[in-house]
Amino acid sequence: MNAPWIDRALKRPEAAPIAFLVVISLLLALTTPGFWSSANLLNIISQVAVVGIVSLALNQVILSGEIDVSIGSLLAACAFTYASVGHLTIHPLLPLLAALGVGLGVGALNGVIVTVGRVPSIIATLGMLLGLRGVVLLIGANGVLLVPDGARAFGLGSIAGLRAPIVGLVVVFAIFDLINRNTEWGRDILAVGSNRRAADAVGLRASFVKFRCFLATGLGCGLASAIFAGQIGEIQATAATGFELQCIAAVVLGGTSITGGRGSTLAPVIGAVLVGVILNALTLNSVPGTFEQLVLGLLILLAISVDAVRFRASRRLS
Amino acid sequence: MTPTVDQDRTVTYPPETAVTVACRLVGAGKRFGGIWACRNVDLEIRAGEVHAVMGENGAGKSTLMKMLHGIHLPDEGHVELAGRIVSLTSPRVAEAEGIAMVPQELDLFPDLSVVENLFVGRVRPRTRFGTFDWATMRRQAATAFGRLNATFDIDAPVRSLSGANAQMVEIARALMHDAKVVILDEPTAALTEREAQRLFGIIGELTRRGVAIVYISHRLDEVFQIAERITVLRDGERIHTGRTRDLDMPRLIQMMVGRPLSKLFHRTPHTPGEALLEVQGLGRTGTFEDISFTLRRGEIVGLSGLIGAGRSEVAQAIFGIAPATHGSILIAGRPTLIPNSSSAIARGIIYVPEERRSQGLVLDYPIDWNISFSGLNRISRFGFVSRRREREIAERFRALFAIRSSSLKAPVLSLSGGNQQKVLLAKALVVEPEIILLDEPTRGVDVGAKAEIYRIIDDLAAAGKAVLVVSSEMNELLSMSDRILVMHQGRLTGTFTGPDFSPDAIGAAAAGVLAEQAEDSALHPGSVH
Amino acid sequence: MSQPTTRSTAPAEASPRPRFAFTRTHGLALLLVIELAGLGVLVPGYLEPGSLLDTSRTFIETGILALGMTFVIVSGGIDLSVASLLALVSVVMGLSYQAGLPLPAAMFLGIMTGIAGGLVNGAAVAYLGLHPFVVTLATMAIYRGAAYAISNAAAVSDFPPWFTSIGQSYFAGGLVPAQLPVLVVAALACWLLLDRTTFGRRVYGIGANELATRFSGVPVERVKLAIYGLMGCLVAVAAMIQTARVSTARANASIGLELPVIAMVVLGGTKITGGAGTIPGTVLGVLVLAYLQDGLVSAGVRNDWGLVIVGAFLILGVLANELFRRAPR
Repeated sequence: MNAPWIDRALKRPEAAPIAFLVVISLLLALTTPGFWSSANLLNIISQVAVVGIVSLALNQVILSGEIDVSIGSLLAACAFTYASVGHLTIHPLLPLLAALGVGLGVGALNGVIVTVGRVPSIIATLGMLLGLRGVVLLIGANGVLLVPDGARAFGLGSIAGLRAPIVGLVVVFAIFDLINRNTEWGRDILAVGSNRRAADAVGLRASFVKFRCFLATGLGCGLASAIFAGQIGEIQATAATGFELQCIAAVVLGGTSITGGRGSTLAPVIGAVLVGVILNALTLNSVPGTFEQLVLGLLILLAISVDAVRFRASRRLS
Repeated sequence: MTPTVDQDRTVTYPPETAVTVACRLVGAGKRFGGIWACRNVDLEIRAGEVHAVMGENGAGKSTLMKMLHGIHLPDEGHVELAGRIVSLTSPRVAEAEGIAMVPQELDLFPDLSVVENLFVGRVRPRTRFGTFDWATMRRQAATAFGRLNATFDIDAPVRSLSGANAQMVEIARALMHDAKVVILDEPTAALTEREAQRLFGIIGELTRRGVAIVYISHRLDEVFQIAERITVLRDGERIHTGRTRDLDMPRLIQMMVGRPLSKLFHRTPHTPGEALLEVQGLGRTGTFEDISFTLRRGEIVGLSGLIGAGRSEVAQAIFGIAPATHGSILIAGRPTLIPNSSSAIARGIIYVPEERRSQGLVLDYPIDWNISFSGLNRISRFGFVSRRREREIAERFRALFAIRSSSLKAPVLSLSGGNQQKVLLAKALVVEPEIILLDEPTRGVDVGAKAEIYRIIDDLAAAGKAVLVVSSEMNELLSMSDRILVMHQGRLTGTFTGPDFSPDAIGAAAAGVLAEQAEDSALHPGSVH
Repeated sequence: MSQPTTRSTAPAEASPRPRFAFTRTHGLALLLVIELAGLGVLVPGYLEPGSLLDTSRTFIETGILALGMTFVIVSGGIDLSVASLLALVSVVMGLSYQAGLPLPAAMFLGIMTGIAGGLVNGAAVAYLGLHPFVVTLATMAIYRGAAYAISNAAAVSDFPPWFTSIGQSYFAGGLVPAQLPVLVVAALACWLLLDRTTFGRRVYGIGANELATRFSGVPVERVKLAIYGLMGCLVAVAAMIQTARVSTARANASIGLELPVIAMVVLGGTKITGGAGTIPGTVLGVLVLAYLQDGLVSAGVRNDWGLVIVGAFLILGVLANELFRRAPR
């Protein structure tokens, strides 16, 4: 018999993904030259920072039992806003505020449609994904929008010797961890996602809890768009297409259950890093880029199957 | 039958003079769409008493409890707390006023830990840094469970707890609210005997501290064991309130049922024919074991036992929903494998599930759609459904069972519970089964519809079908069965042959709560009769 | 008490709710008429039969997918992988033709790929009990990824004329596009299947109450498998037509097509959580959305508005479902 805390640690939703990440990293360190260098590892993390930040926010929505697939278009819309405002002003924070504003507005709209309009979140955010992409295409169809150098600090700069995207990811993780651990907001999300009826019975306002999660996703996209714009330097109207898939993959791979209520704050970060490591390994081993989606899809299928089997096993024990 | 006062789980009656009223329903009534679910009920709950509320299904018990717990607001009368009229607009308000309820279907957060479950929806203590004070929360949780003499891992997710421990969590939740009135709805339904005895110990502990317990149960024996006073409801009205020691069991049953049982159920005399279904050593790992019995033509066999004893599971295994893992099933003498429900139907077996809404009917769909659903193959050619034959069959059953509806195209949802149940029976009989397994066939049905359903069951037996009836209503089984099988914790603990059943012995085999009192029979329940 | 009369005993029984699909489908037909009339005013000559029929070339594939998607959604599921599977079928067919297989054999291989892709989704949903949304999200990436991987992102485009004529020729005096009859036949077949057969009944049953359907002796897993298999088969048919229409098989074909498909089905009155929806409704949903998109482009509105409109219609369609459903209570 293990000590209870070990037992509990093993039962945590992100335990298996962490183990998987460790094993795969060790394997890669042994087999793939150039993987186990601090430069490469830091590269991986700063490359997954955008996915990680948005996934951290999306994680909240999924924990509450909903889904938000509009994030690909929303990230593009925020990045456009960010770069456009960056051209107008030299102030470093105004573009960020503008992007956050767009994110907040769209997040609020999603939240209202889902909670007040009672449109299932998959449909509401699918509609938003399409509509918003249309808007971005309408505005930005005339080619490539360059991000002015002055506004690329969030993507390329460093803070106290650390790369800005990594700092951003860590800070956002810390914020969500604090929220989920130490606020009624955070705890209520889990309760609502775990058993909506019981949440109503103890007087939680489930709609409002969910609304806040959609707001958080909007803000996450706004913040991540500053890093995204800085990193890629030029934005096309088709930017971040399919981004939502990567984020859902990160959240689910990290161990958060797609049906809500079960998961952790660490899950999306682990999942994002896992995706980054695997894509990096494919590149280092000169696997053609055409295989990326295939590998990603197989990984998700594997993760959800494992989760389903684990979940069934744990239910059978009880 | 007087309450046995035993040292360990004493029910201490406070002196008659020192009565403190914890809460009171005054002339309370609740109406649903023009029909009164209960009407003009006065109920006084005293501090420190165990007050049992008894009545048949549909007597208005749950409506009454929901008014106390803030789920329904009374349409007439009111609720009084310590002499003050209160408006309990939500369960939250009720709990703030000191009324807590432990529902029969536990409603917890399965993914959250035990500690979390205790604090969801209320202010959690914080440290001076503003973070949650988990240490204090766990201490408070430990204290609450300590008061219940319960020790288990408070950091484990509730999903991993047994039913009894999950119930402890609900009770601990109630205690942490400083509840003055705790409503327990069928709390022993899913408990083993030892767990039930532990619960009675806790109830005794709570009443000593002045907490009032409102106790709802169908199990007469345990009500006589722990209740100080009993209120009887029937057809939405209060029939009686009085001390338990002034009552005996036959009188209580008489008040609950309201009429002699023979008036409800007319048994056509008939002689059982050849064996249609034989079950030998049937088992399903972790659910039930070693079940053997025979079902003959023209015979009604009752399957008794407590909720959770495995009765439905046995019936569902025979129907192929969750097939047995060992043992064998013989149909008309031939060993038969039934891997799924479609092959059961093909072999003339039908199961009428207990949960009408979730398992039985598609409520939003029309009556004729539902009636024909199990027997689609009978009314179709080359896979195409004949709407004419569908209508004919539905019409036939509407006439036969007197299903009252404006149109066969009306959604089942628009029917009363009794008529829904008749649609469910029609749906089962469309496939012309020989072996009919009925699970709680009169649940949530009014007395009139009950009599009609009894008539249908009697007709089935008279027509030479083999009928197994799973029921929690002892009286129902006593009056209609040729034989009664009793299950306890997944095993057959008794077989009784009618027509003169001994309710006490059946109860002993089913529950074991009476085990000490009915020593001779209960020690070896399998050998009764 | 036991008189078999139609006298109702409770007020709730007196008025059965009117069939919801009926009123909504008619409303949608009305919307289509108004829309076409508006387009007729905006775009001279838009309502001429030749023009209307020619426009159908833009929605044959989407329409065929929408028919299959109706079964999937009515049964309470969803399939996000259809566009990816379409590309995979197209690439499998194109590559095996290029590798020297006779084209009919290559087409057969393509159809088998489509059915297999659908069955994989169905098996994961029915037998592993996984959430259809996540399963098909994963297979969406897998099928697209497989298409990229096996084709190495290269296109195949040397198809013979008899094949491309499936998607490019006209008959009946040059008025009717060759592929239109495929959609019409598919729609009729799907309507019969969903509305008139035991299979259709079981699809509705699973979507409305899966547990009760299981207790009614329906092999739920097998029915689900068949639903996704049917979806895969229709995907393959759509893939043939699309490949013929653009004369090219390529891995990035019809990216994002699953979303307008779902939008059309939902607009047609299919309840996203299952248990309600009809093929005529879906056909109307396809027509309303497709003619709106095409007509606006003809009227000089920029193409990108199409996405905005589809998105808005998706949300408004479900919102309308909710409002319709809430009203009778």
